[in-house]
Amino acid sequence: MENTEYDVIIVGSGIAGCVMAKTLTQAGKKVLLLEAGLSAGINLDKNGNFYNYVDYLNTYYKANAKVPNSPYPNIKDAPSPNVLDIQATPSVDKGYYVQEGELPFASDFLRGPGGTTLHWLGSTPRMLPNDFQMKTNYNVAVDWPITYNELVPYYEMAELEIGVAGDASVQPNANEYTKGYEFPMKKIPQSYLDQKFMALVDKVNKGEHPVQIDKKKVTIGLTSTPQGRNAVPNEKYPYIDVMWNAEQQKLVMTKHMYWSGKDRAFKELDKKEKYQYLPVGAVWDPNTGQRCEGNASCVPICPVQAKYNALKSLAKADESKLTIKTQSVASKVLHNGEKTQITGVVYKTYAFGDDAIEYKEVIATAKIYVLAANAIENAKILLASEAANSSKQVGCNLMDHLCLLTWGLLPEKGYPFRGPGSTTNISSFRDTDTRKDHSAWICPVDNWGWGWPKFSPGSDVQDAVKEKKFGKELRNHLSDVLPRQLLLHYECEQLPNKDNRVSIKDEYRDALGNHRPVIKYNVSDYEIKAFAAAKAINDQLFKAAGIKDFTKYGEKDENGKFKNPDIVTPPRSKEIYNFWGAGHIVGTHRMGKDADKSVVDKNLCTWDHNNLYLVGCGNMPTLGTSNPTLTMLALTFKAAEAILKKI
Amino acid sequence: MEANNKNTKTFLQISVHLTGYDEMDLLGTGMLESYYDVVIHENNLHLVSEFLTTSEKILGDLPNINDKIRQQLIDDVKFNSLTSNIIMMWYMGTWNGNVVSPQSYIQGLVWKAADTHPPGAKQPGYGSWENPPITIHPPVAVKPAAKAETLTTV
Ligand SMILES: Cc1cc2nc3c(=O)[nH]c(=O)nc-3n(C[C@H](O)[C@H](O)[C@H](O)COP(=O)(O)OP(=O)(O)OC[C@H]3O[C@@H](n4cnc5c(N)ncnc54)[C@H](O)[C@@H]3O)c2cc1C
Ligand code: SF4
Repeated sequence: MENTEYDVIIVGSGIAGCVMAKTLTQAGKKVLLLEAGLSAGINLDKNGNFYNYVDYLNTYYKANAKVPNSPYPNIKDAPSPNVLDIQATPSVDKGYYVQEGELPFASDFLRGPGGTTLHWLGSTPRMLPNDFQMKTNYNVAVDWPITYNELVPYYEMAELEIGVAGDASVQPNANEYTKGYEFPMKKIPQSYLDQKFMALVDKVNKGEHPVQIDKKKVTIGLTSTPQGRNAVPNEKYPYIDVMWNAEQQKLVMTKHMYWSGKDRAFKELDKKEKYQYLPVGAVWDPNTGQRCEGNASCVPICPVQAKYNALKSLAKADESKLTIKTQSVASKVLHNGEKTQITGVVYKTYAFGDDAIEYKEVIATAKIYVLAANAIENAKILLASEAANSSKQVGCNLMDHLCLLTWGLLPEKGYPFRGPGSTTNISSFRDTDTRKDHSAWICPVDNWGWGWPKFSPGSDVQDAVKEKKFGKELRNHLSDVLPRQLLLHYECEQLPNKDNRVSIKDEYRDALGNHRPVIKYNVSDYEIKAFAAAKAINDQLFKAAGIKDFTKYGEKDENGKFKNPDIVTPPRSKEIYNFWGAGHIVGTHRMGKDADKSVVDKNLCTWDHNNLYLVGCGNMPTLGTSNPTLTMLALTFKAAEAILKKI
Repeated sequence: MEANNKNTKTFLQISVHLTGYDEMDLLGTGMLESYYDVVIHENNLHLVSEFLTTSEKILGDLPNINDKIRQQLIDDVKFNSLTSNIIMMWYMGTWNGNVVSPQSYIQGLVWKAADTHPPGAKQPGYGSWENPPITIHPPVAVKPAAKAETLTTV
């Protein structure tokens, strides 16, 4: 047992854990941060950090399949799932997940310092007001215990922390933002491809063959996507930092106070100094990554760290108040039965090396415990501890956005494979009356050609060479086809379902003896109906816009196996559909109004243990149609505020 | 840089006709020697030397070079997979699906063909994606210029 007394122990150095650590230490609290991944990854020493990152980048260059986790080490003592392990027939022995459901769960995450933000794309739209009240508005799923309006101040904190670039005035429900609100940075330019596509859509909207639903014309609306990557600073943006105001007992956004890392205190801005928001550069050098440089590799790695990652937040924590322990995998929280306090966290350390088998089990204690290990790992830790589960909801309601991909060739070149992964989305189907019946969706326009479904451009070269093209014919063919590739992905909202769940079984464990996640997963008719509805709109749009459709679902490989793991076929659906995971792992410890139906209250404190908080996307009762991390971070600030009130 | 022996030179020259890129483009990747080494190390030496001899002969008949390549390298069962692999290596930086080196990934010709840059390297700068790429390749003739009507418009 360790005898240091911490105010708070945080498990996990992803965005939720790092921002929690930063906020609490800057408020003077003593924090222990436990991180499962390798020490090298958290090196806040600038040189060490740089060399470690270059190592990730080289690993990425060398990777044959450049999947999200390809740059990062996979550690047997704290394994990460890999999308390459996901197979059409759910399998219990391939990869980290034990897949026991009808369909495989296809999204991954990264266990390592900085967590999944190292390979996230960085899209940060807010949820829409109606998303918080699905039961009241559409008679499906559940309502959140808080409204959109209650979350607005925390959304603003999250947008500052991530450094969001965007145009607030064009966002759906812009009128529900604080009056005159602006993002810290101006919008990331929309790609040339977006502009070509938008012009085609505009023509379809105004033309003789507009898209119809039930014989009624619908207008397809597109919006620039707010995102966490550095752009031109917005001179009108007034906020500097998020600060705990002890008098008011709340977190506030400062306009005159700034956090001085050198003085380890908030300082008043010199009156003569005019404040302007400054983009946050790379952890190893603030002058690197001041702008997105168009590397077009945000997933899996931004070479210059122009894209936000959690280590940027960690670097702002008060080091004197923060103890970080890496290669420290939390396995359990301790308690003496139900409705009591948590008394400690058990973690196992490992030495890293070729055959190092040197494990130690340690117990650490604090006043407050925060699990920030992400939705799947948080649920696992709680289940292994038999904690926080009087509602029997821990692990249940696992959700993801189901991505129905469609791809075609534009009539003219749009020049994809350039710029951030996506800069524009179809936003007009995010909240319509059809939500009573089937999922709503957001549909990002992808900037990277057919890479996701087809592994373009490699597969295009391979196919052409197989067709015996060579020389100038080959070159011309590729120069004609690749620049015309268009990919859309309809991200359909999955509803919570208690049977989609993470559980643990004693027979499935990793090298440290911790449980592997056992996953049961499926999709419902509500979501399958959305595939049909989205595809119907897509097909009309492609046809009217002269986009040659190449979308194909249910393709098989040489062995007769389905190529793409997640598939629904008749009689469940009229047609065959493939869908892909979005990486949005949500819902395994949901928040709610009632202790018997949810795991945490609206401040993210577990109903069962008043000193145990959960942060991360697991808290979200429903998914909406936005990428979840911004909303999750808003909730994290809310939880940090509740913790600071308590201690 | 000049190819430093006869074999690499032959390898370079036949690669020009296999890839559709000129010598300067291929030399500009800085990968010639490495790729030649891969060809030597990953294959039966006898096969490689036959391939080079055949290539040299083919290169002696420039007016009919594409037909000759098709007949003697692409359609020939002996050389087909070696030839395909060489094309893939120049375009993708891979040999049999394996990335040769970090540089080979970066230097893949496919990114040029697509009028872009390798993801994660040679970044074109802030906002560049808003405009069409600067280096739009002019149409290249499939056949000698006399048959100008067969130009593929790009
Ligand atoms: C390919 C991809 C693209 C994405 N793009 C977007 C996007 O554009 N927009 C968006 O909003 N979201 C996106 N996401 C989702 C986003 O990445 C996650 O929602 C977010 O990173 C989750 O943050 P987290 O802090 O909760 O968890 P994580 O980032 O997963 O961090 C968890 C941390 O806990 C540590 N940990 C785990 N288990 C233990 C343990 N037992 N003991 C100690 N430490 C532990 C891990 O090492 C890690 O550091 C994407 C995800 C993927 C996979
Ligand atoms: S486009 Fe490039 S520079 Fe910009 S965020 Fe993505 S990887 Fe980083």
